[in-house]
Amino acid sequence: MNLAVRDIGRRPGRFALSCIGVGLLLTLVLSYSGIYHGFVYEALTLIDKAGADVWVVQRDTRGPFAEQSRLPEDIRYRMAIVPGVAAASPYVVYTIQRPWRDRSLRFVVVGYDLHLGLGGPHEVVAGRGIAQAHYEMVADAKLNLPLGTKLHLGLNDYTVVGLTRGVVGSSGDPVAFFSLADAQEIQFVKDNWAIRNLRERAKAAYTNALPTQPALSEVLAREFADNPDLHTVNTILVRLNPGSQPQAVAQAIGRWKYFTAYTTDEQSQLMLAGSVARARMQTLLFRIFLTIAATVIIAQIIYTMTLEKLKPIALLKLIGTPTRTIVGLVLQESLALGLIAYAVALVVGSLTYDKWPRLVLVQTADKLTLLAMVVGICVIASAMGIRRALAVEAGAALTG
Amino acid sequence: MEVVRIENLSKVYGSGRTAVTALCEANLVARSGELVAVIGPSGSGKTTLLTSMAGIVEPTSGRVTIGGITTYDDGWKVRDLARFRREHLGFIFQSHNLILFLTARENVLVALQTRGVKGARAVRVAQELLDYLGVGERQGHLPEALSGGEQQRVAISRALANSPQVILADEPTAALDTERGQSVMALFRRIAREKGSAVICVTHDSRMVEGFDHIYHVKDGVVSDGRADARSGEGSPTHD
Repeated sequence: MNLAVRDIGRRPGRFALSCIGVGLLLTLVLSYSGIYHGFVYEALTLIDKAGADVWVVQRDTRGPFAEQSRLPEDIRYRMAIVPGVAAASPYVVYTIQRPWRDRSLRFVVVGYDLHLGLGGPHEVVAGRGIAQAHYEMVADAKLNLPLGTKLHLGLNDYTVVGLTRGVVGSSGDPVAFFSLADAQEIQFVKDNWAIRNLRERAKAAYTNALPTQPALSEVLAREFADNPDLHTVNTILVRLNPGSQPQAVAQAIGRWKYFTAYTTDEQSQLMLAGSVARARMQTLLFRIFLTIAATVIIAQIIYTMTLEKLKPIALLKLIGTPTRTIVGLVLQESLALGLIAYAVALVVGSLTYDKWPRLVLVQTADKLTLLAMVVGICVIASAMGIRRALAVEAGAALTG
Repeated sequence: MEVVRIENLSKVYGSGRTAVTALCEANLVARSGELVAVIGPSGSGKTTLLTSMAGIVEPTSGRVTIGGITTYDDGWKVRDLARFRREHLGFIFQSHNLILFLTARENVLVALQTRGVKGARAVRVAQELLDYLGVGERQGHLPEALSGGEQQRVAISRALANSPQVILADEPTAALDTERGQSVMALFRRIAREKGSAVICVTHDSRMVEGFDHIYHVKDGVVSDGRADARSGEGSPTHD
């Protein structure tokens, strides 16, 4: 006969409510671990799935994710001839938020070279990849844009031809892939008046510089005015030949005056040391406070449950019940509360995590750590109750 | 056989000017199978006498010997007292004191398991005890579903679980009407006769102790043998 089970069975509803309450608190503790891992996963998703070994960015910047980086697109050709480099591909990445029908679409635009495919969608789960140079896009399923949807961006319509799953930017926004030219067009689109004004200013400048060659001035002005931003990228992705050392290639590129190169590991570290590090501290503090709150609440519940049993405990002591039985009664109820609450946390979490706005990635280690914490919390929380129980005089059973 | 001997037992609460003498040089003897009543008004020292016998309150002076064991000998600890109570004493209280989250049978089982009787044997013994007290058919009920008389019978069953040499009963009939109270006292007589336990019953109601072997009166902490009082008026504390 287990006294703890019998005591719990007397008021199962109240005990169940306590378990659910503590369980929801533990759900939050577990969730914050998952949120942190979600931050890390989302921060590294584009880096991991780009397929690059080295990232070339604007000199001394931490681009293209942790900091803005802008490079001329044609650098790709210089990178391609560096020893050890198999391919170099331009890459554009930025976030936009546009109204669409009755909602607002916020997503990360990734522009990549269709021919090399570096930085493009890793896996298309529905539809197909981008097959033509313009006006097609592959979107993540999180954007809720069905295949065939036409999205108006800038001056053009883009058709969703493929879907990815779980591809998000560091802020958790879903990613949409475009051809490099389309991504640049969407980012730097200018209206016709702006283009005409730019041409006139350029024409005036060239005419002034080349007064005897009006035809050449016209051509140069038109070329200049054709939006030079359209040939700007954020980074050059470099894929290496087998056997080449990313660190060595990155160092070689870094010796050039205008570029900084990072290996993929370094790029990942840049992300983790930036915004993710702060998020990590944030979630760690939340977890500490929640754990303390859970400990206090469990301790209070156990202490209250013990206070309600002081008379039976005095009676047990009076009839000579060993101390270990009384300690077991309090401790077992505390552990039962904690473990049932833990199970509630697992169930509630597994049923709701996919509905959270940001990715919640709870790992097995998190669950085991929480389990160990719960056991520890219950032991600590029951200490007060045990102390009170053991302080009861057997003679208290004689008083009415 | 003598199972209880109390010699010159005193208990003083507090010290100095606030000292209160609850019990003064008390003497009492009980033998196996005897019914002993301790009668006195509220605050007279009855419960102090009982708790001193039970090893709950440490006396200021004097000796308590039960089953040949003198409590509070040098080196006695709480766990020794618990074992002592477990092996030698059974308790019955005014308010029945059943554990509310246990059924009648489980209330008896707790006492049996404390004594080391477990499993099917414990269940069988509990059943026998409840049947013996006439509440066998109510064994699966929680205390709140039992009448006052039934609860007291379950409490007596629990007190008998460890086959105690001495049963200490503190106002066992106070919460019962006269008829049920006398029924409980009749049970004590039967238990003393059939089980051989000495039953020491503390009560303020002299009507309930008819047929008891010895009656002690307590007044202002002084214990006197009622029959001796009646015979000689000397207040002899023992009845050797």
